Amino acid sequence: MSVLRPLDKLPSLNTATILLVGTEDALLQQLADSMLKEDCASELKVHLAKSLPLPSSVNRPRIDLIVFVVNLHSKYSLQNTEESLRHVDASFFLGKVCFLATGAGRESHCSIHRHTVVKLAHTYQSPLLYCDLEVEGFRATMAQRLVRMLQICAGHVPGVSALNLLSLLRSSEGPSLEDL
Amino acid sequence: MEEQPQMQAADEPADSGEEGGAGGPPQVAGAQAARSEDRMTLLLRLRAQTKQQLLEYKSMIDANEEKTPEQIMQEKQIEAKIEDLENEIEEVKISFEIKKLALDRMRLSAALKKNLEKISTQSSVLMDNMKHLLELNKLIMKSQQESWDLEEKLLDIRKKRLQLKQASESKLLEIQTEKNKQKIDLDSMENSDRIKIIRQNLQMEIKITTIIQHVFQNLILGSKVNWAEDPALKEIVLQLEKNVDMMTRAEGTATI
Repeated sequence: MSVLRPLDKLPSLNTATILLVGTEDALLQQLADSMLKEDCASELKVHLAKSLPLPSSVNRPRIDLIVFVVNLHSKYSLQNTEESLRHVDASFFLGKVCFLATGAGRESHCSIHRHTVVKLAHTYQSPLLYCDLEVEGFRATMAQRLVRMLQICAGHVPGVSALNLLSLLRSSEGPSLEDL
Repeated sequence: MEEQPQMQAADEPADSGEEGGAGGPPQVAGAQAARSEDRMTLLLRLRAQTKQQLLEYKSMIDANEEKTPEQIMQEKQIEAKIEDLENEIEEVKISFEIKKLALDRMRLSAALKKNLEKISTQSSVLMDNMKHLLELNKLIMKSQQESWDLEEKLLDIRKKRLQLKQASESKLLEIQTEKNKQKIDLDSMENSDRIKIIRQNLQMEIKITTIIQHVFQNLILGSKVNWAEDPALKEIVLQLEKNVDMMTRAEGTATI
């Protein structure tokens, strides 16, 4: 399949699947490990991918949440993300996509400006999270947040839907204010 | 490229209940009771999950049934419409939350009233909960205050930066105008008549001085005196020329 659709498969019982898309394999692996260590009532499945489209030969469950990991140190990572975004169906962006910017801690190594990622997240109406995935503490916190978001997006939390969460996470500060 | 999916079964009691292969025979009875309870909670949880997922699918179907407007709207209009709809949703959510809050409060106060005699103020779960709540609230307020302070500082620094930028801009502008003025002044001075007259006078004086020097030199040479021996005469014959030369050279550079 060339385009990821959110609801084209039926959900498996008590299972939540997250797809991490990013160029840094080591970081993704570490984040996946932290997430799997988290206490969660439902089963977690973490898929890692360098870029979309995913090969259609593998039989995979319904994907509940896509996290695009952008490394602020490398422009290639941003390029890769933008290209992968084309293979995601529009209905995914109703709360089932999230952007994660890593590497903001070391300002001197950043080759992508913060505005770029903020604008990207604003264009796709998706939340943008910041986290230094190399630091153990931050990674654990971010893993907790992602697990919670995943549960909501998979429908395991009664009363809260992905769209609901999206409007909760929407920040009032758009990129236009920063373009001074 | 995709890597192998990793599975992790968490929440041990529920899953071990599922598999059913617990400890040795003496524990079977107790374990089975626990397992059936866990099975109940698991089933209830799955029911809630399925309900939520069903709701999601239903809402997607409803959304797809809505007719999209045929006319092509401009992007700005679409964005404005989206904002309006979002505001509507926000308002409904807020009113719902407020009503729920009011209901919860009423229920809580009713429950408290019923149990007021049974509660001892020294040690009860309720008091512990309330103390914990108070601590958490204090923590929240402190963190909010800290973040507010940090934002203030950031704002101040941004303001200062803007001010500095503006100040440097105005300074640069001043420098520019000063330089331009100077240049204009210099140009005007160069071409002013006074300077021309002064220059002409200077030229005249230099010519006169040169002539006088030549007269002296010729006098000395013509008198056939041995001027090489007398240092004073030597000076007149040799130095004066040098002086005139230097002055004419200086004059040359000034005109350039």
